[in-house]
Amino acid sequence: MQDFIDISPLKLLEMSSRKELGRGKLGVLMARAGVGKTACLIHIAFDKLFRGEKLVHISLEDAPEKVTSYYNVIFYDLVKALDMKNETENKMLFDRNRMILAYMNRSFKIKRLKENLKTLVDKIEFLPDSLIVDGLDFENADRDIFEGFKELASEFNVEIWSSALSHRHITDVNERGIPYPCSRVDDLLSIVIQLQSTQSGVFLKLIKDHDSPVLPDANVRLDPNTFLVVT
Amino acid sequence: MTPEIEHIRNIGISAHIDSGKTTLSERILYYTKRIFAVHEVKGKDGVGATMDSMELERERGITISSAATYCEWNNHTINIIDTPGHVDFTIEVERSLRVLDGSILVLCAVGGVQSQTITVDRQMNRYKVPRIAFINKCDRAGANPGRVVEQLCARLNHNAVLMQIPIGLEGELAGVVDLVSMRAIYFEGPYGGDLRSDDIPDYLLDDARKAREVMLDAASMFSDRLMEAIIEGDVSSGLIHEAIRTGTISRELTPVFLGAAYKNIGVQPLLDAVTLYLPSPMDVKNIALDLEQEEKEVVLVSEPSAPLVALAFKLEVTPYGQLTYLRIYQGSIKKGDDLVNTRDRKRVKVGRLARMHADKMEEISIARAGDIVTLFGVECYSGDTFTDGRLRYAMTSIFVPEPVISLSVSPKDNKSEIKMAKAINRFVREDPTFRSYVDHESGENIISGMGELHLEIYVERMKREFGAEVETGMPQVSYREAISARAEFDYIHKKQTGGAGQYGRVAGFMEPSEDGVYEFINSIKGGVIPTEYIPAIDKGFKSCLKKGRLIGFPVLGMKITINDGQFHSVDSSELAFTQAAIGAFNQAYFKAKPIILEPIMKVSVESPSEYQGNVMASINQRRGIIISSAEDGMFTNVESEVPLAEMFGYATALRSLTQGKAEFTMEFSKYQKVPESIAEELKKTLVERSKGGKK
Repeated sequence: MQDFIDISPLKLLEMSSRKELGRGKLGVLMARAGVGKTACLIHIAFDKLFRGEKLVHISLEDAPEKVTSYYNVIFYDLVKALDMKNETENKMLFDRNRMILAYMNRSFKIKRLKENLKTLVDKIEFLPDSLIVDGLDFENADRDIFEGFKELASEFNVEIWSSALSHRHITDVNERGIPYPCSRVDDLLSIVIQLQSTQSGVFLKLIKDHDSPVLPDANVRLDPNTFLVVT
Repeated sequence: MTPEIEHIRNIGISAHIDSGKTTLSERILYYTKRIFAVHEVKGKDGVGATMDSMELERERGITISSAATYCEWNNHTINIIDTPGHVDFTIEVERSLRVLDGSILVLCAVGGVQSQTITVDRQMNRYKVPRIAFINKCDRAGANPGRVVEQLCARLNHNAVLMQIPIGLEGELAGVVDLVSMRAIYFEGPYGGDLRSDDIPDYLLDDARKAREVMLDAASMFSDRLMEAIIEGDVSSGLIHEAIRTGTISRELTPVFLGAAYKNIGVQPLLDAVTLYLPSPMDVKNIALDLEQEEKEVVLVSEPSAPLVALAFKLEVTPYGQLTYLRIYQGSIKKGDDLVNTRDRKRVKVGRLARMHADKMEEISIARAGDIVTLFGVECYSGDTFTDGRLRYAMTSIFVPEPVISLSVSPKDNKSEIKMAKAINRFVREDPTFRSYVDHESGENIISGMGELHLEIYVERMKREFGAEVETGMPQVSYREAISARAEFDYIHKKQTGGAGQYGRVAGFMEPSEDGVYEFINSIKGGVIPTEYIPAIDKGFKSCLKKGRLIGFPVLGMKITINDGQFHSVDSSELAFTQAAIGAFNQAYFKAKPIILEPIMKVSVESPSEYQGNVMASINQRRGIIISSAEDGMFTNVESEVPLAEMFGYATALRSLTQGKAEFTMEFSKYQKVPESIAEELKKTLVERSKGGKK
């Protein structure tokens, strides 16, 4: 079996100053509509799961059944791509290490998420290493939300990955070179990566690298079907 | 007389226990002249309410089994399906909700929205059933209909709007003000049968005007014409009814009515509302599955001349024989017609056709789309679909899950033995997930089904309905065995008994099957085993799967390959090779490291969000894996996978953890390996139990 870590999209972070996002920090995956934000976010989740870590997938839009089926589709793609032998055991392990918290009909509140995370830790001893937040209306979310996520990341000692929708027609970049919509809150973000589909292929590009300048050519090329790094 | 389809209402009456829905049903039957005396639920007069036709229901004052009854009001036919009001009887609930087009949600003016109200309301949401609300018991101390309306909005997310206001409350309750006609209605004469319309009392005029304004505001959202009429100050009752009906059928509005059924107040206006606002069968989209096209969904047309499609939703044993309750979705049925049961394609003749009114009947000669009728003496199962043979549609999927739990039942005496057999025979027909067999080793009667409560209800019904006194064993999980490694076999079956001998040699290997299916691969080359004996070998292996050697439960599939063997021109026979296969299986089975598999249930718990922690902890304590938790306002739905063996008594535990405010459903998900630590203990217990059974 090929090692997933070697071809995971998060291999990009090897080109970052700290080689990781890190606990207590926020990371954002930016992309335009239809490029594959959710799929790429779930690949980030699999990166964590393959490392034996636990994660909570927070869905602000889709019902748990849809999220589960996303994970299943990507898992079976990985089974093929990696020629995975112990498929059943891995699936069982990943299902155990992943928890989905869904907030339907705009019922999401940071306070409620905090209570839910506390329940997971206290009542069922599920201690997550990462949170994956999908479906956040990034451009319309108040700064309070990001501050809340930042506090949660510290309090629960987790790293948090979220996605943000960018637009072709909005090309604004702030003074630190961070594009819209991350530009509004980039002081709270440690890593920003951008998924881009171009004529020459799909690329994942490092946009913000903690407090360090981003290295030129800090990007990886992804297989457009599997979102795995093309080696 | 067959009613026009637009004048039919198929409704349910749903409520929290003790909200008075059976009393309300009773009054409805009285005012519609289906009964001529009123009896109370608890049966102080020894008769009991008419809708609670099963003895058990009468005794407990609750409704377990859904009796259907019909009545007429304002030139409309109303079929009432009395839905169960208890969370444990979900099979009955699901069945009755399937045939409803609309419902009356009964609430207590004192208790308001209670846990069971939340449950039944959610069930109706699931089946997209439009409803109107009736706030009952307005005569009780502490009655507060205004608060109940607020709760309907806040706790159940209804767009609830009062259609009436009370004239007096608690002991002073005298009648209601109708906000559409702006008239006071008083209920006079014996059992409130005479309605007197009068001017609104002066002290209530202001309240009535304000409440009417709120009602018109809500209704105008569903009719531009009404909105214009309000602006022009020319609002007619017809326009209001039309708008309220549109809002109700789209489930975006819940009109609320008031009264006290026990005191005979408010029931007749509620009946008017049923005919005015709830949908006719024509207003509802019904879906069937076309079995000729891999269960593709097809929309039925409520047309009497279309090919027949009808669903048998309930069977009952009555003094008249077996009774089948049928909802006709499309087409018509006449006395003497031939019907075809979609499940087994058998033809049945319609001998007698009737409408039921609780446990009394009225014969009719024809019934059409939208109607609910009963057939006599038709052999079928509950959930069967009938057509006239032109279509092969099914109203429910023909897939029936395998039972996951079993229980031994034994009669206490000889009389009970016959009664128990009758009861089991009946239940098997009523419910395809209920099975029964005799364990040949222990000689015990085993009943099996989909859960602990499922079986408990049937045991209770054996006693109550059939008078069978039975004792039950401990619930038994249906485990499975499977092999986990490849193992080879090479077995010779040789027997010389004086006459013709038996000889057969089979060699090959067994290996685990990925998808749990049995597969037999014949890789014999050069005719070392003649082709005619190969099916006998397959048969021998298959027979071994019925009962595993590890704990005596069925073996869940495996792949068997035979690649060598030997035969004798005189002594070989099919029997000899079947025996050789059995020998080969026994030789290899333990080498193939058999494991125990247990049924894992998909458990879904819905509860108010504040109990999420308790719910998760309860699942965690039961070796469960929590898959997800989804919040939607005040409710949280926790999805998990839990071994069935850990689910015994969960309903009780959940109730105490959540003050009865949570509801759970479970269904079989998959078989999974039992953890080593538990498997050892289980082996010991099961082996001991089987030794006990053989004694």
